[in-house]
Amino acid sequence: MSDKRTSVKDALFEPPGPKTRRVIRIATVVSLAAIAALLWVVLRRFYETGQLDARYWSVFTRWTTWRFLGKGLLGTLEAAAVAGVVAFTAGFLLMVMRISGNRILGYISTALIEFTRGVPTLLFIYFFFLVVPKFGIKLPAFWKVCLPVSISACGVVAEVLRSGVNAVPKGQKEAAQSLGMLPHSVFLKVVFPQAFRFVIPALISELVIVVKDTTFAYVVNFPDLMQNAKVLISNYDALLSVYLVVALIYIAINWLINRASVAAAGRTNRYAVPAGKKQ
Amino acid sequence: MSDTMHETMNDRTPVIELKHVDKHFGSLHVLKDINLSVQKGEVVVIIGPSGSGKSTLCRTINRLETIDSGEILIEGTKMPQEGKELARLRAQIGMVFQSFNLFAHKTIIDNVILGPMDVLKKSKKEAKEEAMQLLSRVGVDSQANKVPAQLSGGQQQRVAIARALAMHPKAILFDEPTSALDPEMIGEVLDVMTKLAREGMTMLVVTHEMNFARRVASRVIFMDGGSIVEENTPEEFFNHPKSQRAQDFLNSIQAH
Ligand SMILES: Nc1ncnc2c1ncn2[C@@H]1O[C@H](COP(=O)(O)OP(=O)(O)O)[C@@H](O)[C@H]1O
Ligand SMILES: [Mg+2]
Repeated sequence: MSDKRTSVKDALFEPPGPKTRRVIRIATVVSLAAIAALLWVVLRRFYETGQLDARYWSVFTRWTTWRFLGKGLLGTLEAAAVAGVVAFTAGFLLMVMRISGNRILGYISTALIEFTRGVPTLLFIYFFFLVVPKFGIKLPAFWKVCLPVSISACGVVAEVLRSGVNAVPKGQKEAAQSLGMLPHSVFLKVVFPQAFRFVIPALISELVIVVKDTTFAYVVNFPDLMQNAKVLISNYDALLSVYLVVALIYIAINWLINRASVAAAGRTNRYAVPAGKKQ
Repeated sequence: MSDTMHETMNDRTPVIELKHVDKHFGSLHVLKDINLSVQKGEVVVIIGPSGSGKSTLCRTINRLETIDSGEILIEGTKMPQEGKELARLRAQIGMVFQSFNLFAHKTIIDNVILGPMDVLKKSKKEAKEEAMQLLSRVGVDSQANKVPAQLSGGQQQRVAIARALAMHPKAILFDEPTSALDPEMIGEVLDVMTKLAREGMTMLVVTHEMNFARRVASRVIFMDGGSIVEENTPEEFFNHPKSQRAQDFLNSIQAH
């Protein structure tokens, strides 16, 4: 059944003919050559400026370096996970308010969604770092990262969830209503589970943004991966090497998140309506 | 079907009764002074051209559409407007849709047990046992653990009927249950409906299947332009339609 589904690629493009295939082959060779050349130029510059010298890389031969980075990684993962959960919860509530049919709640929610989506994360960070303490509220550094990052994400989450809810066919709700289910049951047991499945990929993209936003932790001195990297850099004067390694770690995290989303999507594919079947 | 008539009520109280029901969609007058009653055990078939308001009529009965004026009674009780009372009355009227509307994220068995568990508060075990019986009654018990998208249209519609039956409804509304089906699957769904009718289920059926109407209906209602134009036994209606509009309609469907 999932094999009967047309992928986005199939839906958008025809299978290439012989001429197109030749063009694709040439374009592939040319772009690979360009990438190789660029890489060579970069490495060459590094070599010439001495960035590839052993002294910049020896820092990675010490296991304390890795332990320190590992601690930072843990901080990043913890902050991202907590911020993700908070953003999802807040986003869910905003979405429910917005679709509740209550006009006042709807206005409040729309305003909050637009506000949180419009303001850059860094401004929220500064707010929690500089303004909140002025009111005598002392937050641990962890929350000074998590709260602004989740606030910045919750509006997007709300809109993503709402688009999922709108994508659930009206008949699903009607079928549940005609069984005599109460509105909250209809929503929680029939509409939302389907909406959620529709938007898993979009939620995953937002989670990747949350992970990246936690790098603002350096502003509030929360020891995340980025902050610890900065410490290493100033201690060992190893700017490029450390940033390179840290970038690879971030790529790895987000690659894993994306793999997880593909796996989740594969599992829910079972429930999709096969192409060409009317429902 | 289960004969659970605990209510002490007049034998002649209709299961479904509409009195002077009017409804507009904006400026469109879709239901015009509809008066209709369905007695226990009756199979009332509604026919009429597309756009005549048949679906809307069906949907007002369990308040998927609101009405402007008039009243709708279920076994003498006025249909409440909202909340628990509305849900309670909806649970007593089953509905089978043209597009099946099986819950796409649930397996077949879970589709059937959701209502009994969520609304009737049955235990999962009890609900499952009964659901399996119902699924075998409609001939899809072997598909219980699949999801709707894996079933043919005819199978999906039979599951939808089982899902409605699981609530032990006092009546079931069918809104063109076979219109979305490939021709070879229409028969299997009509067979299930015929069996239900023979077992005494109260049914209100919107359909274009004239043979079904002839064989199974206790009464045929012909709608056009939002009004009930004619109401008669199937023999009388099909053999001697009184109104010009009904004659034209019958001619138009016999034409092809
Ligand atoms: N939700 C709606 N909003 C506006 N007009 C509607 C809506 N639903 C149905 N209609 C209109 O009401 C009329 C009756 O529709 P319907 O009850 O579906 O007819 P039937 O089932 O007999 O084909 C049609 O003209 C249709 O376009
Ligand atoms: Mg219709």
